[in-house]
Amino acid sequence: MIEPKDQMVGVGAMAHAPVLLVPGQAIREPTLIWSKILMAVLFILISIGMVNLYSAASGTNLFWSQLKNLALACTAFYICGWIISPRFYNTYAYWIFGAVCVQLILVDIIGGISMGAQRWLKIGPIVFQPSELAKIAVSIVVAKYFYTSRLANPYTLRDLFPLAAVVGVAFVLIFAQPDLGTAGVCAMIMACQLSFIRINGKSLVLVAIGGFTVVLAAWFFILRDYQKLRVLNLINPDMDSSHTGYNALQSFIAIGSGKFLGKGFMAGTQTQLQFLPARHTDFIFAVFSEEHGFLGTTVLFVLFVTLIYMGIAIAKNGKDVFSSLLAVGMTGIIFVSFVINTAMVLGLFPVVGVPLPFFSYGGTAMIVFCSAMGILVSIERESLDLFRKASPFQRKAASGRQARRKP
Amino acid sequence: MKKMSRSPHLLIESRFFAASIAIVIAALVMWLRLWQLQIYRGDYYRRISENNRVRKIDVPAPRGMLYDAWGKIILGNTATSELIVVPQYMKNPDKTFDVLARLLHQPREDFAKKFRRAKSQPKFMPITMIRNLSLHEVSIIESNRLFLPGIEVRTTARREYKTGASPHTLGHLGELSPTAMEEFNAKNKDNPYSIGDLVGRSGLEARLEKYLRGQHGYKLIQVDAFGRASNQNQQDWDLPMAPAKPGSNVQLTIDLELQETVSKAFSGKNGAVVVMNPNTGGILALTSLPSWDPYMYQRGLSQEEFRAMTLDPLHPFMDKTTAGEFAPGSTYKALVALAALQEGVATPNRTFVCNGSFSLGSQVYGCWKKTGHGVVNLQRALMQSCDVFFYHIGIELGVDRMAKYARDFGLGTKLGLDINPERPGLVPTQEWKMATHKEVWAAGETPSIAIGQGYNLMTPLQLAGLYSAIATGGKMWKPYIVKRISTPEGVTLDERVPILVRTIDSITLANYERVREGLEAVVMNDEGTGKNARVPGIRIAGKTGSVQVVNLKKNKNQTDVSILWKEHALFASFAPVESPEIVVVIISEHDDKGGGGASAAPVAGQILNSYFELKKRRAGLAIGAAENPITAPTEVTEHD
Repeated sequence: MIEPKDQMVGVGAMAHAPVLLVPGQAIREPTLIWSKILMAVLFILISIGMVNLYSAASGTNLFWSQLKNLALACTAFYICGWIISPRFYNTYAYWIFGAVCVQLILVDIIGGISMGAQRWLKIGPIVFQPSELAKIAVSIVVAKYFYTSRLANPYTLRDLFPLAAVVGVAFVLIFAQPDLGTAGVCAMIMACQLSFIRINGKSLVLVAIGGFTVVLAAWFFILRDYQKLRVLNLINPDMDSSHTGYNALQSFIAIGSGKFLGKGFMAGTQTQLQFLPARHTDFIFAVFSEEHGFLGTTVLFVLFVTLIYMGIAIAKNGKDVFSSLLAVGMTGIIFVSFVINTAMVLGLFPVVGVPLPFFSYGGTAMIVFCSAMGILVSIERESLDLFRKASPFQRKAASGRQARRKP
Repeated sequence: MKKMSRSPHLLIESRFFAASIAIVIAALVMWLRLWQLQIYRGDYYRRISENNRVRKIDVPAPRGMLYDAWGKIILGNTATSELIVVPQYMKNPDKTFDVLARLLHQPREDFAKKFRRAKSQPKFMPITMIRNLSLHEVSIIESNRLFLPGIEVRTTARREYKTGASPHTLGHLGELSPTAMEEFNAKNKDNPYSIGDLVGRSGLEARLEKYLRGQHGYKLIQVDAFGRASNQNQQDWDLPMAPAKPGSNVQLTIDLELQETVSKAFSGKNGAVVVMNPNTGGILALTSLPSWDPYMYQRGLSQEEFRAMTLDPLHPFMDKTTAGEFAPGSTYKALVALAALQEGVATPNRTFVCNGSFSLGSQVYGCWKKTGHGVVNLQRALMQSCDVFFYHIGIELGVDRMAKYARDFGLGTKLGLDINPERPGLVPTQEWKMATHKEVWAAGETPSIAIGQGYNLMTPLQLAGLYSAIATGGKMWKPYIVKRISTPEGVTLDERVPILVRTIDSITLANYERVREGLEAVVMNDEGTGKNARVPGIRIAGKTGSVQVVNLKKNKNQTDVSILWKEHALFASFAPVESPEIVVVIISEHDDKGGGGASAAPVAGQILNSYFELKKRRAGLAIGAAENPITAPTEVTEHD
């Protein structure tokens, strides 16, 4: 294995050789090529997403409203990608997390109620969902924790306890809304990040047992009836087509009836005749499947997998632990949302309120997903030292890394 | 940890590869599931989605219409809205009925009961909850459609009754009960009824049910998830449909304009009127009073109202034209006269002396005129309705000989006018008395039979049949009311030709003529009892009758007694005498205006007058269009 050369870090002109994610292979210097592919795929996905939303939300003005959200999201993408350096998140990690927690507390107290849950926070003209922001905040905190408390040995449960305590606050607050979906997504994003960390085997077993206990406890004490029903529907959606399994069944019908080529844009009967519930939010994947069939959905899968793969590539070439873990977290946001949403729509997972990235209607989610992509871009730019001028932390951090590398 | 120290990020490098694999596997699992749904079971879900957006809507057929002989609508249809429930589209019946009950201010249980009653039928069959919705109610339901899944308002036809037509004749509609439905559907497998369908319950609606009902149609409409009709992308497909087939139309022999006169002239009285064409048996008008408001059943009838009507001693639900049995009274004398002439008991010149009473053994029978008629022959006896004359010839004839002729004229049997249940009436004989009362016929009972009292019972229709036969010289035509049944397109399904039951030739035409002369004198002679029935320029023959219901003390004033104890006023007539074409029979029960001559004869006069006026008017119209003469209806031209 070749040690990365110091002089190569921060050099603008890089060798643009592809990085194959195979263990033992040489880690090539990261290049901006991943960000370029990522942006291209992102552009295609958002375009498809908007066109699909136009069909899903026909008869409403949601499309135009989402167009405004998209403008905000693009701005956020640019700010996260080109203005704010990852170093900023590193420094202010706990402040960011604290701010999000305050918002979550505010939601629990004064939040707007939608679908039986308090999720919205309204500050002046801005309405947003702090629980979406929590996904990024949790990722930042996890990355920060492993950046600061570095251990030579695998982490044990005791080592992870401070992290669990801090992140736990956010979980409790999200659960209290109640927003099972987002809480689960945050946990899974965290799990994605942790999977790259060496953790003590005994601790893993303990966590597994603890997790099982928590699930049982959640089922009997924490989950509300509608949430339990969603889990039960997963087992048999045909059970009661007009009540709780209605959503899942209509979703199957929409997807299945699309067959290979789909019914065509704006011609999905399940969608256009409003049989499909939540067709512009949680079930928008079913709209796409119905109208564009197996072929269109396969293309969609390829695009998403490519996007996620780019994120992983950026993470691998991250400048330091923080950047890499943050990149994993940002990739995790897309990956987890994509997998849970499609699994839910395809009936492989309970119906939880997880949006499909770039497709589902929703301002905060769109901004969060685009910000995550922006952060990925900024991480790659950081590893190319493109933030040198913009960020006062850059030089210090780079020298610090060099100092560590060469004892 | 050597490996870790080599890693610049403290992350496990191998995990990046594992992560790539994990991503691909996760995507692959989704993709396989997608393949299963879209390719493997694609056809299945495509089929469901087709059904999902297409809904079958039942289209009720309007019932066939009834026309009179001249093509006027007697019973038509008009548009109405009704509230139906389609169980398969209901999400939560209890909740929906709660909302419905609150919106329409009706007890929730009403809906639930109807819903439960229809449990046995397929879920796609609609259940009618409320008929004849007001515009206000329709708008309330339409605006709350979102909260009422499975509830629909559909436009359908309801019966529109023309004034004048007798509700007994037309009949009424009622909802089909589940048990009745099974019976009905066992017979009509190809055109089944559903629960809550309206079926004929009485009168012609019931008799002609299979012709009038038509056939439900259906149409498929594209709907959205809320059940709202939607025509988005409609151009892409043709939805199959089957239009409702309206019921067949029926032309009756009824003359609606005459019927209106009958209803008007007879209003205020109780009893029945039968107007018939003696040359065909075609019924021109029928009325039975008291009756009911034809719209009563559409509005809905409360238990109390229904009870009150069934307990009414005047039996409003009974069609008295065929089911009312009355003592014929003096109208029976025409029959006795015929029998006496034929048997030689009476001759045109044989006379009896009437001094107001007649003694048989120890019993004394009074004439209605206590001062007596003096010397009377047959014609005078008929004209003045002398009881004593008929006591004499009745005794000489004997009850059995009178019964023989009565039977010939169809008395004691059902005539077969297939509208409502018919009663046979009663023709007493010695044998009958023995069989039913286990008593020997007493000679003292015969005189009352001869004047149409005692055991004698006749329906108004039988009386009309009797006078038709007298008018036509013994021709008994089977009475009928349905002239033609034709499909809405105009194809004739069934056309009735008059059926001659028999010609009563046991009586010679000369004897018929003699009785007709006597009956003509009743109206046309100034001393006749029926002169109130006169119509200028028309020779009318008739016979009055006044029937005692209770044997009151002679001096008791008729006006004092309860309505149910008052006399029946009867009048049977035909005109014109030279070529009879109309028979009018009036039976006014418990008449408070007097006997047959005073109360019933003027009604007959009005009816006859109207008939000839109408005839003149129609003939005038025909002359006016001389180049293209309208063919007169068959009833009028059949005979002579």
